[in-house]
Amino acid sequence: MAGYILRRLAFVALVLVAVSILVFGITSLLPANVAYLILGPFAPPEQVRALELKLGLTDPIWQQYWRWASGILRGDLGESMLMNRPIAPLLWEAIVRSLTLTVTSFILIGVIGVGLGVIAALRHGRPLDHTVSVATYLGIAVPEFFWAIVVILVFAAWLGWLPSSGYEPLSAGYWIWLQHIIAPVMTLVFGHLAHVSRLTRSSMIEVMQSPYVTAARAKGLPERVVVIRHALRNALLPTITVLALDFGRLMGGIVVVETVFAYPGLGRLLVFSIQNRDLPTLQAAILVVAAIYALANFAADLLYAWLNPKIRYGRSVA
Amino acid sequence: MLAIEDLTVRYRTPGGAVEALSSVSLKVRTGSTLAVVGESGSGKSTVALAAMALLPPEAQTPSGRVLFDGTDVLKLDAQRRRRLRGSRIALVFQDPFSVLNPSLRIAEQVGEGLVYHRGFSDERALSRAIELLDEVGIANPRAVARAYPHELSGGMRQRALIAGALAAEPELLILDEPTTALDVTIEAQILDLLEDLQARRGLTMLFISHNLGVVRRIADDIAVLYAGQVVEEGATERILQAPVHPYTKGLLAAIPRLGRGRTRLASIPGRLPDLRAPPAGCRFAPRCPFAVAASALPQELRHVGDRNVRCCRAQELVATAWPVQDEAASGTLRAVLSPSEPILRVDGLSKTFTLTRGFGALSFEGWRPVMRPVRVKAVDEVAIEIAPGEVLGLVGESGSGKTTLGRAILRLIEPDRGSIRIAGEAVSGKPQKALVPMRRAAQIVFQNPDSSLNPRKTVRELVGRPIERFRLAPSGEVPGRVRALLDLVRLPAHYADRYPHQMSGGEKQRVGIARALATEPRFIVCDEPVSALDVSVQAAIVNLLADLRDRLGVAYLFISHDISVVAHIADRIAVMYRGRIVETGPAEEVMRAPRDPYTITLLSAVPTVDGPPLGKRARDEIAQR
Amino acid sequence: MPLQLKAGLLIVGTIVLLGLLAPWIAPHPWDTISMRTRFLPPSATYWLGTDEYGRDVLSRLLMGTRLSLAMGVSATLVSLAFGVPIGLAAGYFRGKTDELLMRSADVLMAVPPIMLGLLVLAVTPPSLWKTAVAVGFVYIPPIARVTRSVTLALANEEFIQAARARAESTSYILFREILPNAWPPLIVEASLRVTYAILLGSALSFLGLGAQPPSSDWGLMISEARSFIDRAPWIALAPGFAMCLLVIGINLVGDGARERLDPRLKARVGKS
Repeated sequence: MAGYILRRLAFVALVLVAVSILVFGITSLLPANVAYLILGPFAPPEQVRALELKLGLTDPIWQQYWRWASGILRGDLGESMLMNRPIAPLLWEAIVRSLTLTVTSFILIGVIGVGLGVIAALRHGRPLDHTVSVATYLGIAVPEFFWAIVVILVFAAWLGWLPSSGYEPLSAGYWIWLQHIIAPVMTLVFGHLAHVSRLTRSSMIEVMQSPYVTAARAKGLPERVVVIRHALRNALLPTITVLALDFGRLMGGIVVVETVFAYPGLGRLLVFSIQNRDLPTLQAAILVVAAIYALANFAADLLYAWLNPKIRYGRSVA
Repeated sequence: MLAIEDLTVRYRTPGGAVEALSSVSLKVRTGSTLAVVGESGSGKSTVALAAMALLPPEAQTPSGRVLFDGTDVLKLDAQRRRRLRGSRIALVFQDPFSVLNPSLRIAEQVGEGLVYHRGFSDERALSRAIELLDEVGIANPRAVARAYPHELSGGMRQRALIAGALAAEPELLILDEPTTALDVTIEAQILDLLEDLQARRGLTMLFISHNLGVVRRIADDIAVLYAGQVVEEGATERILQAPVHPYTKGLLAAIPRLGRGRTRLASIPGRLPDLRAPPAGCRFAPRCPFAVAASALPQELRHVGDRNVRCCRAQELVATAWPVQDEAASGTLRAVLSPSEPILRVDGLSKTFTLTRGFGALSFEGWRPVMRPVRVKAVDEVAIEIAPGEVLGLVGESGSGKTTLGRAILRLIEPDRGSIRIAGEAVSGKPQKALVPMRRAAQIVFQNPDSSLNPRKTVRELVGRPIERFRLAPSGEVPGRVRALLDLVRLPAHYADRYPHQMSGGEKQRVGIARALATEPRFIVCDEPVSALDVSVQAAIVNLLADLRDRLGVAYLFISHDISVVAHIADRIAVMYRGRIVETGPAEEVMRAPRDPYTITLLSAVPTVDGPPLGKRARDEIAQR
Repeated sequence: MPLQLKAGLLIVGTIVLLGLLAPWIAPHPWDTISMRTRFLPPSATYWLGTDEYGRDVLSRLLMGTRLSLAMGVSATLVSLAFGVPIGLAAGYFRGKTDELLMRSADVLMAVPPIMLGLLVLAVTPPSLWKTAVAVGFVYIPPIARVTRSVTLALANEEFIQAARARAESTSYILFREILPNAWPPLIVEASLRVTYAILLGSALSFLGLGAQPPSSDWGLMISEARSFIDRAPWIALAPGFAMCLLVIGINLVGDGARERLDPRLKARVGKS
């Protein structure tokens, strides 16, 4: 088990190194000239040359990468070119706000999605199952940004219960903070619920038809024991992997949702840095997202291993 | 104790309702064992499910009752059924690999019936589970109780399942092919255990199997099922010694027997009727050499002497034997065995598999990473020789390395070491591109007819491709060649247009053989060519292979886990155990006087349908000799 | 044919037909600005109302159908063109090739698709075809994975060994023996990828990194209509519902086709 954990950790590190190379490689292709960006479009060429030398932009690309990557390892993410502030605190604030959204949504999705999937599977082929199936079809087909608009239309424009956009810190009062969180969380939950519940349903149906569940029934166990003890645990194994993937999708979802709701998190920072060609911020933000995603996957692997004895105990006694 | 009366079961399928059982009646007397015997499609597993009232939702029972101790199980409500299952009736399933829940410990699965039926506390259930594991002959029951299913071998799992079934002291034990997924030596151990339990606990059993040899060791009575109908029922020894229904006669005649040497087997032509619209008359008539006009009428199960038989000619056929058709060329062409130049010579062949590589092999000693790949020696220093036209039978159980050996000889798996010569040419050490002449001279027939034919190609494409590939004939002549090859494997010419899914298992295997013959090979590796087939079909394929050898002089490496099949076709036998050849010799000699202890165990484990009954004690005596 | 496949084909067929015929059946010009007809609610003349430049929403919607379909299909073709050969190679050769290709796929999949798309699009000035290529690029890893798992299952089949036993070339085995059997699950996967591509492409357009004004891309239409959502909700709702209908239709086709797949193949592929 310890070997397994370390192996997975080594893989996480490897992925992050590769992502950093990927991110750095693609962004260094950017045609926008950084020096011009800083000095303005009409700067004299000598000044530009001098700044490029100072910034190390004339060095070979691998040297630039090394400088950037080693900076990150020391916790130095560089400076935002646009806002002239160090990126790290900027990013940290954004991460905390974004994780508030994603973690809340993730918990709701996990609980509701798995619940709906299990209930639909147990009522396989009955009206409730069909209702859930149709609803999840809708859920998969509606893009996040459209959900966002529907939520605004219904809860802000029509019912007037929630503010249509913006963010207020906790210090402004718990209820005000919460009001600004509800709409984006609702959007994320609507957008991602269907995926989890559909996969839980199909995995549960498959397990309920497996030989060992038939065997459990042949033992005359009460149905609730058959479902909870024999089926659920095995059915949830693939769901865990899916949930981890969905955490990644949620991290992607914040890009759209934060833009629509003008919520100052990681997603908005990212779009902002792309629109303004703010390279260091863009690189740092994507790397952070990849790191969060990789850690979520790592956590899922651990949970998977903990629930799956084949990984927990590799050896055989006979 | 259990009486099934007039039971009909239909399954709804997209293609229409399939009638799995047609008004079947069976009786299991208290303290006795009834075996339900049949080939695939006979409906025998449905009997087991119906007896437990465990039929899947798509099954309908338009008629019939399942009386357990006088109450109709099918009419009970869910609650009452549940109290019956696992408590008074217990079921042991066929495949011990998928029936155990992968995420629960063995003890939990063995003891849980006690918790829910007998109100045991968890601790009491655990200690009882350990006792039960001990009773079913598991050596270290405490360790096994704590283990998860994937940590156990197939035999151990089946023992654990039996322990679980016995936990609540059921009055009736139903076993659905309990040994089919196991190796023959393990099968023998499980049968010993069942015999033992029968004697000690006076169990009543309903035993479902396709294997008459297995049934003979365990059952007092037999009911033979064909296409959803009972065709013959009576006392075990009586039926096995003197079958009356033509199907039973054919089935028994088709079983390869130890000690019969190289003779042709009897076979049953044709295939099961379509059960979506079962024929009104005798369901076996289309395949029956004794069929008469009256066979087209509905057949009743009637009393004939000491048993019941569903055949209008039963009385007159009592003493008639199943005709063995193609006795023809048996052993005539006893070989062009020229000692000078063998067609195959293998020396020092070895192959080790690395099971984990890359990240998987990385493990940690504390914090220090080390690469520790898991290796398995599949083939270990093997040397064999096959003369032109000779059949070498290669026998071994699962995991013995026999398939790896067969494929390594043809360089389908790259061996690590050793020399291979086929038809005088060196095969080892050459690059794959230089192997084209060898690939023409040496071919292979596979085990699984569902997997060995590309499902998207017609028979014409499948059999014609080797001819095109090796440019053995101008393209205009290919269809003619294909027709000739189909004729050679006794398939009608119109089969050329069929796709694999439009044929039965036996027919597919014939196509596989035709494809191998298309290159006009001198040597064929037959890798378990009949193991996926029913006994009656298996016999026909073995006969076909024997005929082809006699007519074409092609040599075989005939790989099988079933030593009695091998004995019927092989000139010499090689026994493989854990990657090594432990014994080789002329077939008769190996069968009559095996020298290696493993061969002796293997031979004594084979359940037989005739000769002295081979119980545990009898085998122990043989082993001591 | 299962009901859902029928319903799906009907929906998708209708939408494709409307998209193809759009220039001829659109009741008004899709890009003519007219200040007099701004923000008209749905009426007999303007079935779906007009937008902030007075353009007919229905006509824009119909023209946008072509863009969405083109985006979905071309992006999927890009991912198939790269993903299928990569998956075939990884699944057939196993070992180091497999390790390298699949680890690279893992790395690409460690960044959420939309961010990978953003990253690629950040490099160049936005336009619709670049979005399509970017979306196609993003979905190479999942296509490669599906192809690989199908190939892995098929490569173990005995008919592949039979082909090797008659010295067939690797390309014959990959393209004549394996690929014809891999198509059914791949087509199902590809049809679902089309929906992802449409959704992702429109999200990128929504963020301003895809189609540019005055294009009538659905994502862009919704993005532009956002500011007037309380005044003229129909401008955003029409393309939103259209997109849902199209995605539901394709999903129905994909799921229906999956159920009709050769059950033997389904069972085998499912195991891997």
